[in-house]
Amino acid sequence: MPATGSASRPLDLPEVEEDAAGDFMRTQSRVTPYLFILPALLGLIAFRIAPIGVSLVGSLTGQTLMGETRFVWLKNYLDLVANPAFWSSLGLTLIFNLLINPFQIAVALALALLVFRRTRGIDLIRTTYFLPMTVSIGVASILWNLLLDPSLGLVNGIFRKLGIPPQPFFTGASQAMPSLIWLATWKGVGYWMIFLLAGLNDIPHLLYEAAEIDGARSFARFRYITLPLMKRPIAFVLVADTVANFLFFAPVYLITRGGPMGATNLLMFTAYQSAFTYGNMGRSLAISTTILLIIAAFACVELKFFRAEEQSYG
Amino acid sequence: MASGRRRAVLVQLLRYLLMILIALLMFLPIYWLLISSVQPAKTIFKFTRDITWDTFIPRVLTWENYQYIFTPPSNFPRALFNTLFVGGTTAVFGLLINSLAGFAFAIFDFKGKSILFAVVLATFMMPFESIVIPLYVLIKGMGLFDTYQALIFPALANGLIIFLFRQFLAGIPRGLFEAALVDGASWLQVYCRIALPLAWPVIVTALLMMFNQIWESFFWPLVAAPTPEHVLIQIEIVRNINFDEAIWGRLFASSAVATLVPMVLFLSMQKYYVRSIVSSAFK
Repeated sequence: MPATGSASRPLDLPEVEEDAAGDFMRTQSRVTPYLFILPALLGLIAFRIAPIGVSLVGSLTGQTLMGETRFVWLKNYLDLVANPAFWSSLGLTLIFNLLINPFQIAVALALALLVFRRTRGIDLIRTTYFLPMTVSIGVASILWNLLLDPSLGLVNGIFRKLGIPPQPFFTGASQAMPSLIWLATWKGVGYWMIFLLAGLNDIPHLLYEAAEIDGARSFARFRYITLPLMKRPIAFVLVADTVANFLFFAPVYLITRGGPMGATNLLMFTAYQSAFTYGNMGRSLAISTTILLIIAAFACVELKFFRAEEQSYG
Repeated sequence: MASGRRRAVLVQLLRYLLMILIALLMFLPIYWLLISSVQPAKTIFKFTRDITWDTFIPRVLTWENYQYIFTPPSNFPRALFNTLFVGGTTAVFGLLINSLAGFAFAIFDFKGKSILFAVVLATFMMPFESIVIPLYVLIKGMGLFDTYQALIFPALANGLIIFLFRQFLAGIPRGLFEAALVDGASWLQVYCRIALPLAWPVIVTALLMMFNQIWESFFWPLVAAPTPEHVLIQIEIVRNINFDEAIWGRLFASSAVATLVPMVLFLSMQKYYVRSIVSSAFK
């Protein structure tokens, strides 16, 4: 069933039963549906939609030296545009996304293909791959920060044993970002794998059998059957993963604090710092609004994508 | 033929080797966290510098780290209570309001339904983290900064859970509901006595998801309720980060508690959870 499809088709009943459905509906009073959705709707309006308005309006305000809040209109945005630190943070966030999303999806797809066939012990192996996603992002950050510690960390301990020189990881300007990507991939890849496994499951097995009879090699089967039929789940994971990674915060806050030398100064952390370190709420909300706009753009792509899918399925 | 079979066996062998290697990579950090939490604080890092079997198979086991975090003046028990209380309250009340809305979207036909449902969908495509800072401004304006309400209220209404209930209930034959109405039941009774009992797999998943959301939350409690009185578990743990050797043990013990709870919940309900999140994506 498509995500938005049957909302407009009230009862999902076949045409012939229209009359019965009509009788059924007459027993419903006018206000009943609204009473049922009211509590949830109020919650969504107050805590999901109102904040968007707060973000828009708040980004147009600033504080005087006396601590009074007043409208400064576009000043916060103009300040951002004129600020090279903002552009480098935005650029860094884009680069981060361009690196992490293809990487996570490639790894998730490779793992899904690896564990797809239900051979002996596969449930245990799949469960192991899911486990890191149950580790909270805070604990995952602490854990990898310790494992990758330049002098005390287990990973450098193993490197030393193997004769590899110790690496700085989170403390090295060029290694901090890859280390964050590693941490996020370790935690997240099992989650994305779930969707790709489900996608693989939906591919009719007959297609592979037919291809095998035709003598298609395994790479050809992957290229001409698996990949085209996996477009939908891969696209879904790509959008969801991108939105999640635009909001990447906890590991930066806990481990690198944007450093070393601004190498991991991602947008969400900049927004946090503006508000809670520098006390500049207007500026922070201007950054928040920018992030919201970027995410809204992705959400539109996602919606469009599902609409298109829905039509193609009739 | 024989060489083909031998090749297949070899491929399978390599596949298992690779799968097990990756499984170790996934699991070893968690294992190391768990064993480190039962080691004397002083020895934890001794074995990471100098890798031996002792690194992975501890000789001395101790509960001292756990004893420490569960005795005053540690604030960990308070954080644990706060998280259980906030998570439990959110899950129960969230279940109620989201299942009601999901029921209405699945069963009723009413004016503005598709627009309202689009709003629901939009809210779960916009992740919560994207509105944390304006929400903080809002909560502060409502006078709720640093209260349980600040943690509970924003988590109650949940677009994803509404969606999951709606999907499940829309798939149930109408006849079941009609029969009850003919017998004179009200819609509220139909919801309580027929819809909810049928929807138990969604209920299980919804409770798990909403509780877990509180348990794992980091950014929101960090800004909305950071004081020791209302602190949640994830924030309490990171407050202990201080690279003073004596407290590593506590850091590991509290992290282990924070990890084991969702892990056990996930393992016991893996099947429902996996099915539900998949259906949220493409069904």
